[in-house]
Amino acid sequence: MATPSLRGRLARFGNPRKPILKPNKPLILANRVGERRREKGEATCITEMSVMMACWKQNEFRDEACKKEIQDFFDCASRAEAARKVRSIQEDLGELGSLPPKKLNKLLHRFPNKPHVS
Amino acid sequence: MAASAVTAVRGWSGLLLGVRSVVLRLPGLTQVRWSRYGPEYQDPQIDKGYYRKPLAALTEEEKYERELRKTQVIKAAPATRTSSVFEDPVISKFTNMMMKGGNKILARSLMTQTLEAVKRKQFEKYHAASPEEQATIERNPYTIFHQALKNCEPVIGLVSILKGGHFYQVPVPLADQRRRFLAMKWMITECREKKHRRVLMPEKLSQELLEAFHNRGPVIKRKHDTHKMAEANRALAHYRWW
Repeated sequence: MATPSLRGRLARFGNPRKPILKPNKPLILANRVGERRREKGEATCITEMSVMMACWKQNEFRDEACKKEIQDFFDCASRAEAARKVRSIQEDLGELGSLPPKKLNKLLHRFPNKPHVS
Repeated sequence: MAASAVTAVRGWSGLLLGVRSVVLRLPGLTQVRWSRYGPEYQDPQIDKGYYRKPLAALTEEEKYERELRKTQVIKAAPATRTSSVFEDPVISKFTNMMMKGGNKILARSLMTQTLEAVKRKQFEKYHAASPEEQATIERNPYTIFHQALKNCEPVIGLVSILKGGHFYQVPVPLADQRRRFLAMKWMITECREKKHRRVLMPEKLSQELLEAFHNRGPVIKRKHDTHKMAEANRALAHYRWW
């Protein structure tokens, strides 16, 4: 949806009607963006963990009896760790979605919004 | 912000390239462990075999890597890292963890006495045993040490997570490094705390290592207790967000 219009919303001399908007700060774009909201993560490797724990319960917590399940759990954990690392690098480089806020702020500092004319 | 402060500070210092000035005094960010080397410094190559390879046997990538290393700055190798055949990174790490107040000489002597004690006990057992049992008795103290620590490594760990004003022990997968560290830490703590004041550390450590090698003993029990706690709290696994 396009930006809603500002025509006749503020209290000005040329505006005959009551003001619709009464902003407490001037409506000027700032030279920074806010931080990205942290994404809600979820627990990884729950199924492998529960399979391993079921094996433990059956075999009185002996590790020799549950070697395969333990190995699966470790593989899952290392895969999840690698995926998380790749994701964090991608986030910093800005490949998924938009640029990270730090880089955007740097860019905006170099090319700031000019509320003045001269 | 902290990273840009560090890079700015590095630009100010007229010292050698890569040496960091210690001017990072932001309130929540006191660095307790840092090195004076910048990120461009490479780790030293201690392995003699790397340099003994004849030029003809190298692949293109290896040749390129060698040429690249000639242009890179390399950190100084610490005194504890040697190219000796007797060097063992696990033993070095364990010695460092046993060290108190920088007394590496004492820690290293305790380590060698422990290995000697392990070897002596195993040889006594060997000479007292029948020929069938002699085949099963392991006498190399290094294999016993490695196997004992491997047996002590926990598979899953517990982490305190704050939720709704309470701390819950949540089962969480551990990295390899963390598991090895925990095994060594538990071994050292157990030997330090649960020994009589007249018993010396090498004696106690050798006893604990041999018991851990056979999957018995208090360190293995601690590992099993951790596993049992994790199993009991498996419903809380969803409190994790990673």
